[in-house]
Amino acid sequence: MSRLGPVYTLAAGAVIVVALGAASVKAAPSFQQVGAGQDTTAAAPPAEPFPAPSQEPSDQPSQQPSGDPAAKPDATPKKADYAGVVQGNGGLVAIAVRDGKAIAYFCDGRIEAWLKGTAENGTVTLEGKDSLITAALGGGKAQGRLQVGKAKWRFTAPLVKKPSGLYRASAVVRGAKIVGGWIVLPNGQEVGRVQIGGSGEPAPRFVPGTAVDYYGITLRPEEPDDFIDELAR
Amino acid sequence: MTHTTVITKRSLVPLLVPLGAGALVAVALGVYGKAHAPTGFSVSVAGFSGPLAMKAWLTTGAALLAIVQVLSARAMWRRTGTRSAWVAPLHRWSGRIAFLLTIPVAFHCLYALGAQYDSPRVLIHSLLGSFFYGVFTAKMLALPRRGLPGWSLPVLGGLVFTALIGLWLTSSFWFFTTLGIRL
Repeated sequence: MSRLGPVYTLAAGAVIVVALGAASVKAAPSFQQVGAGQDTTAAAPPAEPFPAPSQEPSDQPSQQPSGDPAAKPDATPKKADYAGVVQGNGGLVAIAVRDGKAIAYFCDGRIEAWLKGTAENGTVTLEGKDSLITAALGGGKAQGRLQVGKAKWRFTAPLVKKPSGLYRASAVVRGAKIVGGWIVLPNGQEVGRVQIGGSGEPAPRFVPGTAVDYYGITLRPEEPDDFIDELAR
Repeated sequence: MTHTTVITKRSLVPLLVPLGAGALVAVALGVYGKAHAPTGFSVSVAGFSGPLAMKAWLTTGAALLAIVQVLSARAMWRRTGTRSAWVAPLHRWSGRIAFLLTIPVAFHCLYALGAQYDSPRVLIHSLLGSFFYGVFTAKMLALPRRGLPGWSLPVLGGLVFTALIGLWLTSSFWFFTTLGIRL
């Protein structure tokens, strides 16, 4: 036996690790793949192709010109759905407010976070695992900050109406809890993930009003009305 | 974990470097899995319906080759009878392929998901995964060394096999019994 054979084996493994690492770092976010070619969704006005969000610095000092001075918080809405793009990340965030309760979902195709909290005095404050959202509600939008892990972004999420907005499907299959989350924008852009047993992967495409097939399991995404009490308890 | 309590005529000294290197690999992987923020995504082997299915099948391939490993090792270590010339290459190459099959799996686990300790299955899987590469490294580095205690390679190989089967049970088997057998 060659004395170096086993070392070559280990070295081959290391080379593959380095190659996978380099490719993964370079790879485009799967969010953009999800967002591509989805203008087929009906009932949506054709939208501009999405500006490459990653070119905006994430610590941009202030919002777009339409921003802060004019945005005086209105009275907290009883029921409102917001969905929009996270600046500097390109992922989507959706917030649903119902009678003082609030839930939110952030997803960029790779990482995701479910958050819950309260809506009062024209602001929402939401917390999730390693994640935090604070936003001012008013002027037809939710405008604020999102923190996931150590990353911080700003976002502006306009009010949206069905079929746009936030969807969640949960199921228990042979002891494993499956939770899917989707955000649909009025321009047809969509992102979602499914988590199962501590793992997760990009969600299959979801067309509002239909079910989703995940490895042969039928997931039925619900609107916030149907799951906010379960989540915001 | 070392085997320094066993007294043999041969020296344990040649085992120290492989075991030390293996321990470093195991600890490094565990620390990386915990410290690194999971990306939720990694480049991987195409052709499967998702990363979970990809991992379930590659791990199954590695586990089947691991059974070949045990059988061919038994043939190599048999005291009596003649040994076929193809047994050693079979052992070597089935092991290499099994190891390489695990790499995209472990890469997705560590890079995209990270070590997690939330549920028993995931906890065991995370610990076994780190242990597997540690003991595999030790086995590889021990192989060319002379003067090892006679039990070194069978014990290291047995630990590699046990760890891999444990990894398969806590991942692929769970996937197939939960979501069904599908590509």
